Amino acid sequence: MKRAILVFACALAGFSILLTAVLIHFAVYWSFSEHMEQAAALESRYIGRAVERLGTGYLRSIESDGSDEPDERRFRVTLISKTGTVLYDTDGDAAEMENHLDRPEVRAALEKGSGESTRFSGTLRKRTYYRAMKLEDGSVLRVAGTTDSVFASMLRLTPLTLAIAAAVFFAAMGIGARVTRKIVAPINRLNLEAPEDNVAYEELDPLLFRVKRQNDRIAAQMRELRQKELEFSAITANMREGLLVLDREGCVLSCNQSALTLLKAGSGDPRGRSVLTLRRDEAFRRAVESALGSEPKKPERAEASLQVGGRHLWVMANPVMDEGELQGAVLVLLDVTEREDRERLRREFSANVSHELRTPLTAISGYAEILANGVAKLEDAPRFAERIYAEAQRLIALVGDVMMLSRLDEGGGESESEEFKRERVGLGEIVRSAVESLGDLARSRNISVVLDLPGKDDEITITGIRTLLVEMALNLLDNAVKYNVNGGEVRVSAGRTGAAGKTENAVFLTVADTGIGIPPEEQERVFERFYRVEKSRAEKSRNGAAQGTGLGLSIVRHGALLHNAKIDLQSDGKSGTSITLLFPGP
Amino acid sequence: MRDSYRKQLETLHTELIRMGALCEDAIASAVKGMLEEDEAFREKAIQLEKEIDLKEREIETFCVRLLLREQPVAGDMRQITAAQRIISDMERIGDQAADIAELSSFIAANPMAAGLIRSDIHIGDMARAAVEMLSGSVDSFVAGDLGKARGVIEYDDVVDGLFGKVKSELIELIAKNSGYGGQCLDLLMIAKYLERIGDHAENIAEWVVYSITGNRGHEQRS
Repeated sequence: MKRAILVFACALAGFSILLTAVLIHFAVYWSFSEHMEQAAALESRYIGRAVERLGTGYLRSIESDGSDEPDERRFRVTLISKTGTVLYDTDGDAAEMENHLDRPEVRAALEKGSGESTRFSGTLRKRTYYRAMKLEDGSVLRVAGTTDSVFASMLRLTPLTLAIAAAVFFAAMGIGARVTRKIVAPINRLNLEAPEDNVAYEELDPLLFRVKRQNDRIAAQMRELRQKELEFSAITANMREGLLVLDREGCVLSCNQSALTLLKAGSGDPRGRSVLTLRRDEAFRRAVESALGSEPKKPERAEASLQVGGRHLWVMANPVMDEGELQGAVLVLLDVTEREDRERLRREFSANVSHELRTPLTAISGYAEILANGVAKLEDAPRFAERIYAEAQRLIALVGDVMMLSRLDEGGGESESEEFKRERVGLGEIVRSAVESLGDLARSRNISVVLDLPGKDDEITITGIRTLLVEMALNLLDNAVKYNVNGGEVRVSAGRTGAAGKTENAVFLTVADTGIGIPPEEQERVFERFYRVEKSRAEKSRNGAAQGTGLGLSIVRHGALLHNAKIDLQSDGKSGTSITLLFPGP
Repeated sequence: MRDSYRKQLETLHTELIRMGALCEDAIASAVKGMLEEDEAFREKAIQLEKEIDLKEREIETFCVRLLLREQPVAGDMRQITAAQRIISDMERIGDQAADIAELSSFIAANPMAAGLIRSDIHIGDMARAAVEMLSGSVDSFVAGDLGKARGVIEYDDVVDGLFGKVKSELIELIAKNSGYGGQCLDLLMIAKYLERIGDHAENIAEWVVYSITGNRGHEQRS
């Protein structure tokens, strides 16, 4: 703007200076010519009078008394006779001059007494003014003044004119620059944040008004946007699922904290960077590429499973389309570690159940085949039958346990079915019956079972599910006997924790043995289904009298869960295990 | 104009990550193919090698275009120069992954020998170390992490040490069981390739250091 104003000002100044110079020149020239003509007329009258009085001698006296330089003389004086013959001329030899009768000024003078004319001499670029006057004797006196023609004079004055013009021009430019600055300064000082406060030029008011309106609109939209962003981040920040929004090139536009945590991304804002900086596994890459599509392929929803630092992630990549055109993609990340783990447990359980069912069936089928073929001697038959019976018993126990577990899985405790009815159950009675049913097994291994129960059964009566409590006690005692050493001891104690105990007024049931113990690192896992501390130990016990299903402690844990009971396992891993069930008070 | 230039640099970065990821996949597949005797993984490694070659050419053209059109200076110039060097290292890694995959099929042809070799030789540890180095160098590139890059450069000694160990183990094995000589030699070559992969990963890390600081931070190894 400054520049434009300055250029205009300079152009204007230049133009006006030149125009003024030319016009003034014309005006001055005109006035000068006028002046000269008047002077010539006056002079011709004076000289005419003088010649009339003194004769031509006067003319000669002018010539001799004037300077020798013809240039310095202002006028040329010529005396012409009636017939047009030049009688005298100040500038030339009168004898050589032609007849002047045809000159317009001479003719006019002869006719009217005076005459004038102007002639241009092209070669000399001179303008000559002639003034003629008829004298009393009928001859004509002519006075001629010569000046430069207007263009010649202009040409002569051009350098001076230009010098003046340039000086004026530069002065004008300096002033112009200053003025421009002055004009522009208020515009530069405009505060567009608050346009209505400005008092610059009233011509700018409509513009400022519009700016203000725009400002208001932008501010409103910004507020709205910030509000939306806040809502969005409030939603995404509190999501456990990771969320990533990508643009068409796969750069992250927005992401929530969960996404960064799930992907174990380092510090630093991933926004504006490629999503591949977060993760570059093949599965992840393919999912992103599929959602964003590449030339021949259309963007498609894709899912992938990732493993990040021991956790399983499920990635869902959805293309974002707008009017048939791809705008980007949204990735949702789910932590499916637990689901994956449950799935793994379920698979293991099915595999284990099939395996455990198969082993006794194979044995039964083998013995039965021998008997059927008649290969066996008659006296061996009872032994085979006994084995078949034992394996069948084991099968029944296993199926019973599996059924019990699956009922427990279905949340049997909550449904008030006949089997899982809650009632008052005395633990003493249950323990005694369990000990009784395992009495034979214990005796066969020389294991003494010691009961340490309080005198009154009331003291250890709780509200619970009888069948389940029986099952739990049986399993605990069974384990205590089975994994005991020959001649060991099993101590079953029950009672009420005193006021000094941590859990006040709770009922405890402890089964302690002097057996082979459970190593500390295995203590968590023994409650898992089909988990056995050592395969070899299971095999050992299988060869002996007792065989486990691997489900006993699993049932105990489930039962405890349904009774809100705590399980406490104590073992140094070498000798003796003690498992305590702590039931909440009545 | 400058905006699109920034975008192009970002694209270059992304493409390099992609190529690095391809290399990681290739070497991981090759190692899996070797350790787990899975034909599918070996074929995948060979397939990936072709993809890596294509990617190298693509990025090379991209770099040249960037250099000619944008005339980058200082840090940007270093980034592009480093990218050109990194892709040639990555391309070599891809080749070696494919070579390992091919060699493992020779070893797998004799399952007895393969089992014996794998159980006694530290080749698995070496493979894991090399893969870790490559991942580390790509990670350092992704994050522009100087510390990580220097860590990778130092880790190369571990891989070199493992190579020496594998070599002496193989010598012992041949001495005891000359029948497995062929497989042992193949295994030695695999070990050498893994060692080379470690060197290339180290180079990549050095180029990362260069692109950040302007010098390679470590004497160039021959």
